[in-house]
Amino acid sequence: MTITCGNFDDLLLEGDTFAMQLAAQHARTCDACAEKFAAWNDISDTAQSLHTEWQTDMLWPRIQRELAVEKRKRFTAAAWRIAAAIILTIGLGGGAWFAVQRSRDAAFDRAILRASALDEVERAEQAHIAAINHLEQVANEKLERSKSPLMVSYKEKLMLLDDAIAECQTNIDRNRQNANLRKQLLAVYSEKQRTLEEVMREGTHASNQ
Amino acid sequence: MQEATLHGGFSAVHEPVTREDVAETHDDRRTAAACAAGDSLVFEKIYRDHSARMKSIAYNHLGTVADAEDAVQETFLKIHRAASTYTGEASFATWIYRILINTCYDALRKRRRRREEATLDDVPESAERTAPTVDDAKRLTLRKLLDRLPEQRRSVFTLFEIEGLSHAEIASILDITEGNSKWILFSTKKQLQEQWKRK
Repeated sequence: MTITCGNFDDLLLEGDTFAMQLAAQHARTCDACAEKFAAWNDISDTAQSLHTEWQTDMLWPRIQRELAVEKRKRFTAAAWRIAAAIILTIGLGGGAWFAVQRSRDAAFDRAILRASALDEVERAEQAHIAAINHLEQVANEKLERSKSPLMVSYKEKLMLLDDAIAECQTNIDRNRQNANLRKQLLAVYSEKQRTLEEVMREGTHASNQ
Repeated sequence: MQEATLHGGFSAVHEPVTREDVAETHDDRRTAAACAAGDSLVFEKIYRDHSARMKSIAYNHLGTVADAEDAVQETFLKIHRAASTYTGEASFATWIYRILINTCYDALRKRRRRREEATLDDVPESAERTAPTVDDAKRLTLRKLLDRLPEQRRSVFTLFEIEGLSHAEIASILDITEGNSKWILFSTKKQLQEQWKRK
Protein backbone atom coordinates (compact mmCIF):
# COMPACT_ATOMS: atom_id res chain seq x y z
CA MET A 1 0.00 0.00 0.00
CA THR A 2 1.48 3.36 -1.06
CA ILE A 3 1.09 6.18 1.40
CA THR A 4 1.38 9.76 0.21
CA CYS A 5 1.57 13.03 2.17
CA GLY A 6 -1.99 13.67 0.91
CA ASN A 7 -3.50 10.75 2.83
CA PHE A 8 -1.19 10.98 5.85
CA ASP A 9 -3.87 12.94 7.79
CA ASP A 10 -6.43 10.21 7.03
CA LEU A 11 -4.21 7.73 8.86
CA LEU A 12 -3.90 10.06 11.86
CA LEU A 13 -7.69 10.50 11.85
CA GLU A 14 -8.24 6.73 11.85
CA GLY A 15 -5.72 6.45 14.69
CA ASP A 16 -5.84 2.64 15.14
CA THR A 17 -2.69 0.52 15.43
CA PHE A 18 -2.56 -0.44 11.75
CA ALA A 19 -3.09 3.14 10.57
CA MET A 20 -0.40 4.40 12.93
CA GLN A 21 2.04 1.72 11.67
CA LEU A 22 1.44 2.88 8.08
CA ALA A 23 1.91 6.51 9.16
CA ALA A 24 5.21 5.62 10.85
CA GLN A 25 6.34 3.78 7.71
CA HIS A 26 5.61 6.87 5.58
CA ALA A 27 7.26 9.22 8.13
CA ARG A 28 10.53 7.32 7.71
CA THR A 29 10.62 8.37 4.05
CA CYS A 30 9.30 11.97 4.36
CA ASP A 31 10.92 14.66 6.54
CA ALA A 32 7.87 16.97 6.66
CA CYS A 33 5.52 14.16 7.70
CA ALA A 34 8.16 12.82 10.13
CA GLU A 35 8.19 16.15 11.96
CA LYS A 36 4.38 16.19 12.06
CA PHE A 37 4.29 12.59 13.27
CA ALA A 38 6.85 13.26 16.00
CA ALA A 39 4.82 16.19 17.35
CA TRP A 40 1.66 14.05 17.13
CA ASN A 41 3.24 11.27 19.18
CA ASP A 42 4.85 13.73 21.56
CA ILE A 43 1.40 15.10 22.43
CA SER A 44 0.07 11.58 22.96
CA ASP A 45 3.03 10.59 25.16
CA THR A 46 2.77 13.75 27.23
CA ALA A 47 -1.00 13.27 27.50
CA GLN A 48 -0.57 9.73 28.86
CA SER A 49 1.64 11.11 31.60
CA LEU A 50 -1.17 13.44 32.67
CA HIS A 51 -3.14 10.53 34.14
CA THR A 52 -2.92 11.39 37.80
CA GLU A 53 -3.65 9.23 40.79
CA TRP A 54 -3.42 10.19 44.44
CA GLN A 55 -4.37 8.66 47.73
CA THR A 56 -6.87 10.50 49.83
CA ASP A 57 -8.26 9.21 53.11
CA MET A 58 -10.70 12.06 53.51
CA LEU A 59 -12.78 11.80 50.32
CA TRP A 60 -14.75 8.61 51.04
CA PRO A 61 -15.71 9.67 54.62
CA ARG A 62 -16.78 13.05 53.17
CA ILE A 63 -18.91 11.34 50.52
CA GLN A 64 -20.40 8.98 53.14
CA ARG A 65 -21.28 11.94 55.37
CA GLU A 66 -22.90 13.83 52.49
CA LEU A 67 -24.83 10.74 51.39
CA ALA A 68 -26.15 10.32 54.95
CA VAL A 69 -27.25 13.98 54.98
CA GLU A 70 -28.86 13.50 51.56
CA LYS A 71 -30.72 10.40 52.80
CA ARG A 72 -31.98 12.30 55.85
CA LYS A 73 -33.06 15.20 53.62
CA ARG A 74 -34.89 12.79 51.33
CA PHE A 75 -36.67 11.20 54.29
CA THR A 76 -37.66 14.62 55.66
CA ALA A 77 -38.82 15.76 52.22
CA ALA A 78 -40.89 12.58 51.82
CA ALA A 79 -42.41 13.08 55.28
CA TRP A 80 -43.26 16.68 54.39
CA ARG A 81 -44.79 15.58 51.11
CA ILE A 82 -46.98 13.02 52.91
CA ALA A 83 -47.97 15.60 55.54
CA ALA A 84 -48.75 18.15 52.81
CA ALA A 85 -50.84 15.54 50.96
CA ILE A 86 -52.77 14.73 54.14
CA ILE A 87 -53.35 18.43 54.92
CA LEU A 88 -54.40 19.08 51.33
CA THR A 89 -56.81 16.12 51.37
CA ILE A 90 -58.32 17.26 54.67
CA GLY A 91 -58.51 20.85 53.41
CA LEU A 92 -60.14 19.91 50.12
CA GLY A 93 -62.51 17.45 51.83
CA GLY A 94 -63.46 20.02 54.45
CA GLY A 95 -63.93 22.69 51.81
CA ALA A 96 -66.13 20.42 49.72
CA TRP A 97 -68.20 19.43 52.77
CA PHE A 98 -68.57 23.10 53.76
CA ALA A 99 -69.60 24.04 50.19
CA VAL A 100 -72.21 21.26 50.09
CA GLN A 101 -73.56 22.32 53.49
CA ARG A 102 -73.72 25.95 52.39
CA SER A 103 -75.51 25.14 49.16
CA ARG A 104 -78.01 22.98 51.13
CA ASP A 105 -78.63 25.86 53.57
CA ALA A 106 -79.00 28.30 50.69
CA ALA A 107 -81.50 26.01 48.95
CA PHE A 108 -83.45 25.71 52.21
CA ASP A 109 -83.38 29.52 52.65
CA ARG A 110 -84.52 30.05 49.07
CA ALA A 111 -87.39 27.57 49.55
CA ILE A 112 -88.45 29.34 52.78
CA LEU A 113 -88.34 32.74 51.07
CA ARG A 114 -90.34 31.46 48.11
CA ALA A 115 -92.97 29.94 50.40
CA SER A 116 -93.24 33.09 52.52
CA ALA A 117 -93.55 35.30 49.39
CA LEU A 118 -96.32 33.03 48.15
CA ASP A 119 -98.11 33.21 51.48
CA GLU A 120 -97.91 37.01 51.37
CA VAL A 121 -99.40 37.08 47.86
CA GLU A 122 -102.18 34.75 48.90
CA ARG A 123 -102.95 36.84 51.98
CA ALA A 124 -103.18 39.99 49.83
CA GLU A 125 -105.37 38.15 47.33
CA GLN A 126 -107.73 36.96 50.07
CA ALA A 127 -108.04 40.47 51.48
CA HIS A 128 -108.74 41.80 47.97
CA ILE A 129 -111.35 39.07 47.34
CA ALA A 130 -112.99 39.72 50.72
CA ALA A 131 -113.29 43.44 49.87
CA ILE A 132 -114.78 42.63 46.45
CA ASN A 133 -117.20 40.09 48.03
CA HIS A 134 -118.30 42.78 50.47
CA LEU A 135 -118.86 45.16 47.55
CA GLU A 136 -120.77 42.39 45.74
CA GLN A 137 -123.15 41.95 48.69
CA VAL A 138 -123.95 45.66 48.66
CA ALA A 139 -124.30 45.74 44.84
CA ASN A 140 -126.45 42.55 44.79
CA GLU A 141 -129.22 44.31 46.70
CA LYS A 142 -129.34 46.99 43.96
CA LEU A 143 -129.16 44.40 41.16
CA GLU A 144 -132.09 42.45 42.69
CA ARG A 145 -134.19 45.58 43.15
CA SER A 146 -133.72 47.05 39.66
CA LYS A 147 -135.30 45.42 36.58
CA SER A 148 -133.68 47.74 34.00
CA PRO A 149 -132.04 46.07 30.98
CA LEU A 150 -128.69 47.64 31.97
CA MET A 151 -128.77 46.01 35.40
CA VAL A 152 -129.75 42.67 33.80
CA SER A 153 -126.75 42.88 31.50
CA TYR A 154 -124.48 43.76 34.52
CA LYS A 155 -125.90 40.73 36.30
CA GLU A 156 -125.05 38.49 33.32
CA LYS A 157 -121.56 39.98 33.08
CA LEU A 158 -120.97 39.34 36.79
CA MET A 159 -122.09 35.73 36.36
CA LEU A 160 -119.58 35.26 33.50
CA LEU A 161 -116.85 36.87 35.60
CA ASP A 162 -117.67 34.49 38.53
CA ASP A 163 -117.38 31.52 36.17
CA ALA A 164 -113.98 32.80 34.96
CA ILE A 165 -112.87 33.30 38.60
CA ALA A 166 -113.94 29.76 39.53
CA GLU A 167 -112.02 28.29 36.54
CA CYS A 168 -108.93 30.32 37.35
CA GLN A 169 -109.10 29.28 40.99
CA THR A 170 -109.36 25.59 40.01
CA ASN A 171 -106.23 25.95 37.86
CA ILE A 172 -104.37 27.79 40.63
CA ASP A 173 -105.22 25.03 43.11
CA ARG A 174 -103.50 22.61 40.73
CA ASN A 175 -100.39 24.82 40.37
CA ARG A 176 -99.95 27.25 43.24
CA GLN A 177 -96.73 28.74 41.95
CA ASN A 178 -98.01 29.76 38.50
CA ALA A 179 -97.71 33.55 38.56
CA ASN A 180 -99.47 33.89 35.19
CA LEU A 181 -102.68 32.29 36.49
CA ARG A 182 -102.55 34.58 39.51
CA LYS A 183 -102.23 37.60 37.19
CA GLN A 184 -105.24 36.37 35.19
CA LEU A 185 -107.26 35.91 38.41
CA LEU A 186 -106.29 39.42 39.53
CA ALA A 187 -107.37 40.84 36.14
CA VAL A 188 -110.78 39.08 36.38
CA TYR A 189 -111.25 40.31 39.96
CA SER A 190 -110.30 43.86 38.88
CA GLU A 191 -112.89 43.63 36.10
CA LYS A 192 -115.48 42.36 38.64
CA GLN A 193 -114.57 45.22 41.00
CA ARG A 194 -114.96 47.77 38.16
CA THR A 195 -118.34 46.21 37.15
CA LEU A 196 -119.58 46.27 40.76
CA GLU A 197 -118.52 49.94 41.08
CA GLU A 198 -120.46 50.72 37.87
CA VAL A 199 -123.49 48.85 39.30
CA MET A 200 -123.22 50.95 42.49
CA ARG A 201 -122.95 54.16 40.45
CA GLU A 202 -125.90 53.23 38.19
CA GLY A 203 -127.97 52.20 41.24
CA THR A 204 -127.33 55.54 43.02
CA HIS A 205 -128.08 57.48 39.79
CA ALA A 206 -131.39 55.58 39.28
CA SER A 207 -132.51 56.10 42.92
CA ASN A 208 -131.78 59.87 42.62
CA GLN A 209 -134.03 60.03 39.54
CA MET B 1 -2.37 3.44 22.70
CA GLN B 2 -3.89 1.84 25.75
CA GLU B 3 -7.31 0.28 25.19
CA ALA B 4 -8.75 0.24 28.66
CA THR B 5 -12.16 -1.02 29.63
CA LEU B 6 -13.67 0.38 32.77
CA HIS B 7 -14.22 -1.92 35.69
CA GLY B 8 -17.94 -2.49 35.87
CA GLY B 9 -17.90 -2.62 32.10
CA PHE B 10 -18.69 -0.42 29.15
CA SER B 11 -20.91 -2.16 26.66
CA ALA B 12 -19.20 -1.93 23.30
CA VAL B 13 -21.16 -0.16 20.57
CA HIS B 14 -22.03 -2.02 17.34
CA GLU B 15 -21.35 -5.45 18.81
CA PRO B 16 -24.00 -8.20 18.92
CA VAL B 17 -25.82 -8.45 22.23
CA THR B 18 -24.62 -11.48 24.19
CA ARG B 19 -26.02 -13.31 27.20
CA GLU B 20 -23.28 -11.65 29.29
CA ASP B 21 -24.46 -8.21 28.13
CA VAL B 22 -28.00 -8.98 29.25
CA ALA B 23 -26.77 -10.24 32.63
CA GLU B 24 -24.63 -7.13 32.96
CA THR B 25 -27.65 -4.91 32.29
CA HIS B 26 -29.58 -6.71 35.04
CA ASP B 27 -26.63 -6.24 37.39
CA ASP B 28 -26.43 -2.57 36.47
CA ARG B 29 -30.14 -2.14 37.18
CA ARG B 30 -29.75 -3.88 40.54
CA THR B 31 -26.81 -1.60 41.35
CA ALA B 32 -28.83 1.47 40.38
CA ALA B 33 -31.77 0.33 42.52
CA ALA B 34 -29.43 -0.17 45.48
CA CYS B 35 -27.98 3.33 44.91
CA ALA B 36 -31.47 4.80 44.80
CA ALA B 37 -32.19 3.12 48.13
CA GLY B 38 -28.97 4.62 49.52
CA ASP B 39 -27.15 1.31 50.11
CA SER B 40 -23.78 2.48 51.43
CA LEU B 41 -22.04 -0.85 50.66
CA VAL B 42 -22.89 -0.45 46.96
CA PHE B 43 -21.62 3.12 47.00
CA GLU B 44 -18.42 1.95 48.66
CA LYS B 45 -17.91 -0.64 45.91
CA ILE B 46 -18.48 1.98 43.22
CA TYR B 47 -15.98 4.21 45.00
CA ARG B 48 -13.41 1.41 45.18
CA ASP B 49 -13.87 0.50 41.51
CA HIS B 50 -14.10 3.93 39.90
CA SER B 51 -12.81 6.68 42.17
CA ALA B 52 -9.20 6.60 40.91
CA ARG B 53 -10.22 7.16 37.30
CA MET B 54 -12.99 9.56 38.31
CA LYS B 55 -10.51 11.71 40.23
CA SER B 56 -8.08 11.73 37.30
CA ILE B 57 -10.79 12.70 34.78
CA ALA B 58 -12.06 15.45 37.09
CA TYR B 59 -8.52 16.65 37.76
CA ASN B 60 -7.77 16.85 34.03
CA HIS B 61 -10.95 18.86 33.49
CA LEU B 62 -10.75 21.15 36.49
CA GLY B 63 -7.01 21.44 37.10
CA THR B 64 -6.98 21.31 40.91
CA VAL B 65 -7.15 18.46 43.40
CA ALA B 66 -9.71 20.20 45.60
CA ASP B 67 -12.06 20.87 42.68
CA ALA B 68 -11.58 17.32 41.39
CA GLU B 69 -12.49 15.83 44.77
CA ASP B 70 -15.49 18.15 45.06
CA ALA B 71 -16.66 17.04 41.60
CA VAL B 72 -16.31 13.36 42.54
CA GLN B 73 -18.23 13.95 45.77
CA GLU B 74 -20.96 15.86 43.88
CA THR B 75 -21.13 13.02 41.34
CA PHE B 76 -21.85 10.49 44.11
CA LEU B 77 -24.65 12.68 45.44
CA LYS B 78 -26.09 13.01 41.92
CA ILE B 79 -25.91 9.22 41.48
CA HIS B 80 -27.91 8.83 44.71
CA ARG B 81 -30.48 11.42 43.58
CA ALA B 82 -30.87 10.16 40.01
CA ALA B 83 -30.32 6.39 40.35
CA SER B 84 -34.06 5.76 40.21
CA THR B 85 -34.10 7.30 36.69
CA TYR B 86 -31.38 4.94 35.37
CA THR B 87 -32.95 3.00 32.49
CA GLY B 88 -30.14 0.59 31.61
CA GLU B 89 -29.76 2.05 28.10
CA ALA B 90 -26.05 2.60 28.70
CA SER B 91 -23.95 0.66 31.18
CA PHE B 92 -23.95 1.93 34.75
CA ALA B 93 -20.25 2.85 34.44
CA THR B 94 -20.98 4.96 31.33
CA TRP B 95 -23.82 6.63 33.19
CA ILE B 96 -21.55 7.46 36.16
CA TYR B 97 -18.84 8.95 33.92
CA ARG B 98 -21.47 10.96 32.03
CA ILE B 99 -22.63 12.45 35.34
CA LEU B 100 -19.01 13.16 36.30
CA ILE B 101 -18.26 14.94 33.00
CA ASN B 102 -21.42 17.04 33.33
CA THR B 103 -20.49 17.90 36.92
CA CYS B 104 -17.08 19.04 35.68
CA TYR B 105 -18.76 21.19 33.00
CA ASP B 106 -20.97 22.77 35.66
CA ALA B 107 -17.93 23.50 37.82
CA LEU B 108 -16.07 25.02 34.87
CA ARG B 109 -19.05 27.24 34.03
CA LYS B 110 -19.35 28.35 37.65
CA ARG B 111 -15.65 29.09 37.71
CA ARG B 112 -15.89 31.06 34.46
CA ARG B 113 -18.68 33.08 36.00
CA ARG B 114 -16.57 33.80 39.04
CA ARG B 115 -13.65 34.57 36.69
CA GLU B 116 -11.36 32.54 38.81
CA GLU B 117 -8.07 31.31 37.49
CA ALA B 118 -7.42 27.62 38.05
CA THR B 119 -4.00 26.82 39.44
CA LEU B 120 -2.76 24.43 36.83
CA ASP B 121 0.39 23.33 38.61
CA ASP B 122 -1.46 22.23 41.74
CA VAL B 123 -0.35 18.61 41.47
CA PRO B 124 -0.91 16.42 44.55
CA GLU B 125 2.22 15.53 46.50
CA SER B 126 1.49 11.81 46.46
CA ALA B 127 0.66 11.76 42.75
CA GLU B 128 1.80 8.69 40.89
CA ARG B 129 2.67 9.33 37.28
CA THR B 130 2.60 6.58 34.73
CA ALA B 131 5.52 8.08 32.75
CA PRO B 132 7.82 9.96 35.14
CA THR B 133 10.45 10.46 32.42
CA VAL B 134 8.31 12.96 30.46
CA ASP B 135 9.44 16.50 30.84
CA ASP B 136 7.44 18.49 33.44
CA ALA B 137 7.57 21.56 31.21
CA LYS B 138 5.84 19.67 28.41
CA ARG B 139 3.20 18.46 30.83
CA LEU B 140 2.55 21.98 32.07
CA THR B 141 2.37 23.27 28.49
CA LEU B 142 -0.13 20.60 27.53
CA ARG B 143 -2.25 21.29 30.62
CA LYS B 144 -2.36 24.97 29.74
CA LEU B 145 -3.33 24.18 26.15
CA LEU B 146 -6.03 21.77 27.33
CA ASP B 147 -7.39 24.42 29.68
CA ARG B 148 -8.12 26.64 26.68
CA LEU B 149 -10.01 23.96 24.75
CA PRO B 150 -13.81 23.95 24.48
CA GLU B 151 -15.52 21.51 26.87
CA GLN B 152 -16.28 18.70 24.41
CA ARG B 153 -12.83 18.73 22.77
CA ARG B 154 -11.19 18.67 26.16
CA SER B 155 -13.35 15.73 27.26
CA VAL B 156 -12.64 13.66 24.14
CA PHE B 157 -8.90 14.33 24.40
CA THR B 158 -8.83 13.59 28.15
CA LEU B 159 -10.85 10.40 27.91
CA PHE B 160 -8.92 9.02 24.89
CA GLU B 161 -5.35 10.23 25.32
CA ILE B 162 -5.08 10.55 29.10
CA GLU B 163 -7.52 7.94 30.39
CA GLY B 164 -7.16 5.51 27.48
CA LEU B 165 -10.84 4.93 26.78
CA SER B 166 -11.94 3.71 23.34
CA HIS B 167 -13.91 5.86 20.91
CA ALA B 168 -16.93 3.60 21.47
CA GLU B 169 -16.79 4.25 25.21
CA ILE B 170 -16.28 7.99 24.73
CA ALA B 171 -19.18 8.12 22.27
CA SER B 172 -21.39 6.46 24.85
CA ILE B 173 -20.35 8.80 27.67
CA LEU B 174 -20.60 12.04 25.67
CA ASP B 175 -23.67 10.94 23.70
CA ILE B 176 -22.01 11.38 20.30
CA THR B 177 -21.17 8.97 17.49
CA GLU B 178 -17.92 7.01 17.36
CA GLY B 179 -16.99 8.76 14.10
CA ASN B 180 -17.66 12.10 15.71
CA SER B 181 -15.40 11.18 18.62
CA LYS B 182 -12.58 10.27 16.17
CA TRP B 183 -13.03 13.50 14.25
CA ILE B 184 -13.08 15.66 17.40
CA LEU B 185 -9.90 13.98 18.66
CA PHE B 186 -8.15 14.43 15.29
CA SER B 187 -9.06 18.11 14.96
CA THR B 188 -8.17 18.77 18.61
CA LYS B 189 -4.75 17.18 18.17
CA LYS B 190 -4.23 19.19 14.98
CA GLN B 191 -5.05 22.36 16.88
CA LEU B 192 -2.75 21.37 19.76
CA GLN B 193 0.00 20.44 17.29
CA GLU B 194 0.05 23.99 15.90
CA GLN B 195 0.31 25.47 19.38
CA TRP B 196 2.77 22.75 20.45
CA LYS B 197 5.19 23.77 17.70
CA ARG B 198 5.07 27.42 18.80
CA LYS B 199 5.92 26.62 22.44
